[in-house]
Amino acid sequence: MTAPFLVARNIAKRFGALTALADVDLEIRPGEVLALLGDNGAGKSTFIKILAGAHPPSDGELLIEGKAVAFASPKDAAASGIATIFQELALSENLSIAENVFLGRELKRSIFGIPFLKRAEMRQRVDGLLQELDAHISDPEAPVGSLSGGQRQAVAICRALNLNARLVIMDEPTAALAVAETRKVLALTRRLAGRGCAVVLISHNISEVFEVADRIVVFRRGRKVAERLAAETNHEEVVSLITGAHPDVRALEKTN
Amino acid sequence: MSAVRQSGSGVFSMNGREWSLLVACLLAIAIFSVASPHYATPGNAVTVLRNSVELLLIGLGMTLLLAMGGIDVSIGIVMGLAAIAIGRIVGADGSPFVALVAGPLVGALLGCVTAAVVVLGRVPAIVGTLGLLGVYRTAVFALLGGQWLSGLPSSLTDLLATTVLGIPVPALVIAVAYLTVWLALRRTPYGLHLLAIGNSEEKARLSGIPVIKVRFLTFVISGVLTGIAATFYVATYRNVEMSIGSTSALDAIAAVILGGTSILGGRCSLLGTVLGVLLLRILQNGLLLIGVPSLWQPVVTGVLVIGVLGFEAVSNRLPLTRFQRARA
Ligand SMILES: Nc1ncnc2c1ncn2[C@@H]1O[C@H](COP(=O)(O)OP(=O)(O)O)[C@@H](O)[C@H]1O
Ligand SMILES: [Mg+2]
Repeated sequence: MTAPFLVARNIAKRFGALTALADVDLEIRPGEVLALLGDNGAGKSTFIKILAGAHPPSDGELLIEGKAVAFASPKDAAASGIATIFQELALSENLSIAENVFLGRELKRSIFGIPFLKRAEMRQRVDGLLQELDAHISDPEAPVGSLSGGQRQAVAICRALNLNARLVIMDEPTAALAVAETRKVLALTRRLAGRGCAVVLISHNISEVFEVADRIVVFRRGRKVAERLAAETNHEEVVSLITGAHPDVRALEKTN
Repeated sequence: MSAVRQSGSGVFSMNGREWSLLVACLLAIAIFSVASPHYATPGNAVTVLRNSVELLLIGLGMTLLLAMGGIDVSIGIVMGLAAIAIGRIVGADGSPFVALVAGPLVGALLGCVTAAVVVLGRVPAIVGTLGLLGVYRTAVFALLGGQWLSGLPSSLTDLLATTVLGIPVPALVIAVAYLTVWLALRRTPYGLHLLAIGNSEEKARLSGIPVIKVRFLTFVISGVLTGIAATFYVATYRNVEMSIGSTSALDAIAAVILGGTSILGGRCSLLGTVLGVLLLRILQNGLLLIGVPSLWQPVVTGVLVIGVLGFEAVSNRLPLTRFQRARA
């Protein structure tokens, strides 16, 4: 078994009086698609925002390749090779595709010490990525706000690819997509894992999860209640883990 | 769709809004020329341009602020404070070159103060700058002691009334300021970050943009431009009156909004701001010449702002063009 790329230990997150996450332990391995499942409000988005450097954890620690890290900002997480596609996508609707893909880490050349954008290079790179994704966008200069849901998802994925990330996190990437676009995104998650990238996928669609995931982790009320290899579980068991009907979850929730 | 695209556009390429403004300027000139025999003279044209200098500089900064989702209603009084510093230096027969440095320097310092309150202190820009407006008003009163700074020597005036390669210094300074701001906005990461913040501060943060740094810097840039405006103010009028800059914020915000910059942030037009300033000054000058008392000028400006925003709201322009950026 390969060594984990990222280890989360005892992660907790409190928003004032509300405990959104408690005691989460998780290992994320390269080349593996890990699916994060759970009801609304289970804490999935909060957990990945901690991995992405968007929230500091209230407790616990993160290790990348065995070394403890503390992210002060999404930029820090990106520098450690973590790319996140947030549920709300975090794209700037008023900017073009290339501008969005490179936002926050633009290609630039220095003239008299002033950084100027290398716009042609950025555009070229993005055209290549879009082609690789098989995404057809008629006007790459149009603002992202004028694109369809699937096209925006493609832009967000380009952003992650462009980072050459070691870990790509996708929060419900297929929720707003049509069937054909969903297929493309799922194929892409497999391709990313095939390249040796670690992938964390959040989804509400259990059949979709079984299609692509190697490992399934279930969150419930801010806690990790189960972890299974996809090959060793089934649809019904996963549903009962999510709803809390599974005996393991009941036993766990009785002790808390 | 062509107005949406901007990346390939040049410094002076124009969109629909900008053409409309140009037509409005020409129309106003035509009407005033018929209405008043004193209007269409070279002397009056120079007056209108002369009157536009300070507002053009302040307007460039205000464009950046609004594009970022910010605002500064204290900008006129910031010009006042900078003008007092310049006036004191000129009045004490100090070197006009020292006076030249004083304006941008005081502007930058006050920009830092504004940024400290609004950006570091997380006070909403409209409230924070309104508070500073109150503080600075009193500071101006205290510094001037209830009296105008008047009858200043002409050293600074003489220095700025010269031409370089046949171009008047004010025109040159404005050209350089416009080009610099345009490059910063459209050709550097800073401009991209500013527009992303104007679209959504939270998304900008998630994208790894140094939001606080960009916002801070923008208030400082606006302060510097305002300090330069103060320099031209003192050079032109050779006095600093108690009411200095009292209409500058309204005028600047009006011109910027007329120019097509979104009050919600994320979209702006520098060329629109320039045309907005000219339209405003043409109207104010023309109305004066046909006998409308100057008391009515803020009324005209206010009605224009409300009219433009009302029209945009009614024609659903706001939600639609939130995603669109006009060319600078
Ligand atoms: N920024 C925040 N401030 C306060 N509460 C939050 C915040 N983000 C999430 N929460 C709360 O944390 C809990 C977990 O939310 P979330 O992680 O979004 O769940 P999921 O993505 O699994 O649906 C919810 O109760 C939610 O209301
Ligand atoms: Mg969520």
